[in-house]
Amino acid sequence: MKKWMVLLLICSIFCLGFSAAAIAGDKKLKAGFVYVGPVGDYGFTHAHDLGRQYAEEKFPWLETIFVESVADADCARIIDRLIQQQKCDVVFTTSFGFMDETINAGTRYPDKLFMHCSGFKRSDNVGTYFGDLYQMYYLNGIMAGALTKTNKIGYVAAFPIPELVRHIDAYALGIKAANPAAKLNVKWIYAWYGPDKAKEAAEALIGEGCDTLAFTEDTPAVIEVGQSHSEKGKQIYTFSHYSPMQPYGVDSVVSGQLMNWGGMYARILEDIYNKTWTNEDVWWLAKEKAAILGGSETDIINPKFVKELKAAMIDTKDFGKISAYDLVVKRYEQMKQGVDVFDPFTGPVSDNKGTLKIKAGERASKDDLLSIMYYVDNVEGSVPN
Amino acid sequence: MLKIKTTDRYDITPLRSFMTNILSLLAALVVISIIFLIAGVNPLFAISEIFSGSFGTFYGIKETITKAIPLILIGTGLTLAFRAKFWNIGAEGQMLMGAIFATWTGLNFGGALPSYIIVPLIFLAGFIGGGLWGIIPAILKIKYSINEVISTLMLNYICAEFLMMLIVGPWKGKTRFGFPGTDNLPDSAILGLIPGSRIHYATLILAIICAIVLSVIIYKTRFGYEVRVVGENPDAGRYAGINFLKTSLILMAISGGLAGFAGVGELAGIHHYLGYPASISSGYGFTAIIVAWLAKLNPLYAVFSGIFFAGILVGGDAIQISLGLPAATVQIVNGTLLIFLIMGDYFLNHKITLKFSNK
Repeated sequence: MKKWMVLLLICSIFCLGFSAAAIAGDKKLKAGFVYVGPVGDYGFTHAHDLGRQYAEEKFPWLETIFVESVADADCARIIDRLIQQQKCDVVFTTSFGFMDETINAGTRYPDKLFMHCSGFKRSDNVGTYFGDLYQMYYLNGIMAGALTKTNKIGYVAAFPIPELVRHIDAYALGIKAANPAAKLNVKWIYAWYGPDKAKEAAEALIGEGCDTLAFTEDTPAVIEVGQSHSEKGKQIYTFSHYSPMQPYGVDSVVSGQLMNWGGMYARILEDIYNKTWTNEDVWWLAKEKAAILGGSETDIINPKFVKELKAAMIDTKDFGKISAYDLVVKRYEQMKQGVDVFDPFTGPVSDNKGTLKIKAGERASKDDLLSIMYYVDNVEGSVPN
Repeated sequence: MLKIKTTDRYDITPLRSFMTNILSLLAALVVISIIFLIAGVNPLFAISEIFSGSFGTFYGIKETITKAIPLILIGTGLTLAFRAKFWNIGAEGQMLMGAIFATWTGLNFGGALPSYIIVPLIFLAGFIGGGLWGIIPAILKIKYSINEVISTLMLNYICAEFLMMLIVGPWKGKTRFGFPGTDNLPDSAILGLIPGSRIHYATLILAIICAIVLSVIIYKTRFGYEVRVVGENPDAGRYAGINFLKTSLILMAISGGLAGFAGVGELAGIHHYLGYPASISSGYGFTAIIVAWLAKLNPLYAVFSGIFFAGILVGGDAIQISLGLPAATVQIVNGTLLIFLIMGDYFLNHKITLKFSNK
């Protein structure tokens, strides 16, 4: 009797072990990532790759591979290779320029899934996802407005597309909240990766009297310019972009915007694994902890500038007279609760030609934000074209 | 004491030339293997990955041919220029200018015309665009003695910036939502593909015809003879009364024009709209220099060397994906091959003797 039970026990343990192994072996997911830049760019692609690594470490059933520095011209070929040769179940394409080829690939491989980052075209097996930083730009704007001495603030921008205009406007609205007298100047460099052009643009803005700079470009070039001026005694305030760039400008970086793709990739891959995936647009902000405030992993604001920000007082409707530092912290908390608690694009907002764009009390919809192509009223000049 | 003596070699047979190439390639592979070893990868495995990734599967072959099309077109054009010792480093720009001219033609006339008219028209436009961009350095060189290496190289950047100006400015498409790039060419101007692949066969056929025609021109016509004389013995050419300006203009118009064809093929066969310079070309104008060199400046051989280098580029993804090597590895492989091919040329044209003397 006893022997018999032991035997049964051993058998059942074996069976359980085998079936568990079989389940784990059966349900594997292979994901391919197509990157536009090198994984070492310290900007957009770097951030995506951290997200990929995070997801791969988190899920034992997940295998990932990536291809870096893929030109738009080569995207279709790389997707074909990932599907046909590497047998990927899902392919993530992480550049706007890959949009059409991703949609085409969806038609070619109807039983595979595709996720395209930053685009607006979807189909049955092609979804879109994006993490947006405009709220962080608003918070950066509050600090910029509070810190500037010249009331001239600069922005080095990559391409005149809605995403960039949205960031510029959010930054400008933040500036306005802290300092209605300050104006924002924008220089376009027409490159995502262009440290030389970004440096020239930053120097030009400083030459025109700007003492505070934010930017959208994939290297710390603008910060290095700010740091070198600050070291020579002329304080230039800068805001880090996408990756923690504070180490490149310890005397210049006030704060910045950080993007964490890890959570989003984990969510999407888990949905695919559990077969709950839909092609609904995934659009993550501060609430989902995709957009994070700060120029380093540890501080939301560089300790060097905290005193200055605590001394700068701002009049607000909802909090009364409050320091810039406290306002940033409070608004950040509100943003984490959701856009319905606080959103920078809440009316009244007018463009810089005097047209009312968002009525008082109303909030811009997601579609409005995704297609925004006007400057708000404290930005100089006009959007190219 | 060891003495190295070099003398010119006059007995260059096709076999010797072929063997020099093979030996150069082998020597290059040795160096590349060392690089792979340093990167911690088994070189035999890496090299076999490259070639099985490009020629070993149906998928690889399709992609290799797709990538070979522009390389063959530009490479054949460069064989003509290099034969005249006209160092055209500007095929990249000539290709882009071809794409620009073709875009203008396609967008303005494509909607109203059927395929059999608009497709030849955009190719003609591309040839004219590339050819015009090619004859600028020819004029500068013959009239003003401006070094063509510098001028062709610089014209690449001018053309790329000009293209950028067009696609972020006046030519920016309404369907691009503010992103740089023109609208798609009308359907009649889009080239057909071999089903299941991305091979735009019209351009492939054109490339092979160009290679054949160009080899006839080089070896069978008076103009081809003049080109060879200009390159090999310019003094004799001057005595024989060859018009250097005219010869250079024609050869650069052809060389640039073929690069223009390549631009049209990429535009109308692959992308369907004019986008960033880097997305139209991904460096074909420079890779084609190695293609022409490996072909020993023979346009027919350029067809095969074009396919060979396309294979290396396509196989390059394979080593990146399966071995985790950085994307730049492929460029190192290509660069090493070119250096060894050029060095091999020196040994082909010179006889090296080592002598031990007592002094």
